[in-house]
Amino acid sequence: MAMLDRRAISGAERLTPLRFLCPAETVAEIGFDSRAGTGPDEMDMKIDVARHPHAILEAGLERGHGRAEIRVAKNGAGETAIGGLYQRSPCRVLFPRPEAGDPFTAVVATTSGGLAGGDSLEISAAAGAGCRAVVTTQAAEKVYRALAADCTVKAVFSAAPGAWLEWLPQESILFDGARLRRRTEVDTVADGRLLACDMVVFGRRARGERFTRGLLHDAWRVHRDGALLWADDLHLDGDIRARIDHPAGFAGADAYATIVYVGADGADRLASVRAEIDAAGVDAGRPGALRVAASLVNGVLVIRLLAAEARMLRAEVMRLCIFLRTEAAGLPARMPRVWTI
Amino acid sequence: MDSAALYRLMTWLSPAYPTGAFTYSHGLEAAIEAGLVKDRATLIDWLGYVVAYGSGRAEAMLFRCAYERAGDAAALDQVADLAAALRGSAELALESEQQGEAFLATTRRAWPAAHLDAFARRRHGRPVTLSVAVALAVAETVPIETALLAYLQALVSNLVMAGVRLIPLGQSDGQQAIAALAPAVMDAVGAALDCPLENIGSASPMVDWCSMRHETQYTRLFRS
Repeated sequence: MAMLDRRAISGAERLTPLRFLCPAETVAEIGFDSRAGTGPDEMDMKIDVARHPHAILEAGLERGHGRAEIRVAKNGAGETAIGGLYQRSPCRVLFPRPEAGDPFTAVVATTSGGLAGGDSLEISAAAGAGCRAVVTTQAAEKVYRALAADCTVKAVFSAAPGAWLEWLPQESILFDGARLRRRTEVDTVADGRLLACDMVVFGRRARGERFTRGLLHDAWRVHRDGALLWADDLHLDGDIRARIDHPAGFAGADAYATIVYVGADGADRLASVRAEIDAAGVDAGRPGALRVAASLVNGVLVIRLLAAEARMLRAEVMRLCIFLRTEAAGLPARMPRVWTI
Repeated sequence: MDSAALYRLMTWLSPAYPTGAFTYSHGLEAAIEAGLVKDRATLIDWLGYVVAYGSGRAEAMLFRCAYERAGDAAALDQVADLAAALRGSAELALESEQQGEAFLATTRRAWPAAHLDAFARRRHGRPVTLSVAVALAVAETVPIETALLAYLQALVSNLVMAGVRLIPLGQSDGQQAIAALAPAVMDAVGAALDCPLENIGSASPMVDWCSMRHETQYTRLFRS
């Protein structure tokens, strides 16, 4: 219950029929979805709300539809500055003063502390011509167990000619039973460039929890000059544990990441990124604990990472992002400060 | 389905059809190098997963989308664009595009059809994946279940043959693997027909990882 202190629920010790808690119009939504694998029995059984507090959160009591929209443009002095900002709770955008050499920095914070079933987030950032900016998140995003309604996260980024934009969010932690649909869309024009990463941790491993059921649909759509270059749809549902453990699935990895680099110089970076991957002696330690590989798909540089532990994954994502941002953009060899606080 | 349609379907999905299928292993060569696949049992397990949750799943859904939109040029082109982009590595893209383009070129020559010509003209300079090309060719005459079954059977038997050469296994082991994979193929057909389109995709990052590693593998017989 610690994670829910913020949303204190009275009478949480009682056994309460789920139906009773639901306003009539939400019953259908929290009911079962046969194709999603949650059984109809969940609808009628009595829910111990102390153990399943999200049954109440999903019942239309408190749904977050957060939004953060950031535009950066050159100001009169030729510096990258805020050109437009829209934010809606539970999203807040902070603009810490960049350290020497860092680009314009925006930090998206979700004040709700995590995503419950039915919550949605929309984050977008547009870098105007010649701008350099990094957008990151304040902390790891927790995705709580959901009964039926999915959480959705949509992230949209665009880089105008000559722009350099980074989307470097911290990891999403999927609690067992979480249902997350995420879509990341990237649009670059001409020599606009973008570096993005995306980390998912399967369960609260420190508590011994694994992500065994629920939903993860993680989609990427990358466009350059309006043409769809690269798409990716990771779809996990049903017996998720079996997929994660299968050698052709995730080979038992507890954490998974993708790094994407879009730029006309993508092809030139492939060899050096591969050398950097190999330099770390991937697979050092126990065999298969960390698997990393890169490819250039239709001009988009894609790096896949699978790790036995979240910490290992995070360290490798940081190392490779730092390599790319120094190599391709001449930025300082560190991640945005919130990553290391 | 009439006999003429069955004759075409068998011809188009036969290993003798010149799409170069036998030169692609879909990352299997790297999986074998890494010790992830090493005998008949692990080959069946690996390919069963590829069919159910890997590219078999994703291609079957792209196939279905293209099949259902065969008569609508704009919608079909959108599927073709997504199919070309939905690739986990450079070699997985090469594998599906070179086979798709070879299939389309050969079929237009041997079995001329106006809708294939029109599609090829619209796609000029843009990649065509095998799943979309085959779906378009059979859309008018072959029922979707049969078409999908034939398509996935061809995919599976080609990869089993790659495994037979690489592990190596005897021909009889290969046929036993194809027999053992029949239920997985049939389930995948049903799943592709039932699955809502928003759930398109796969859950096989290890196949991507193998395919990416294959690009720099020192000794290799296959192009993917």
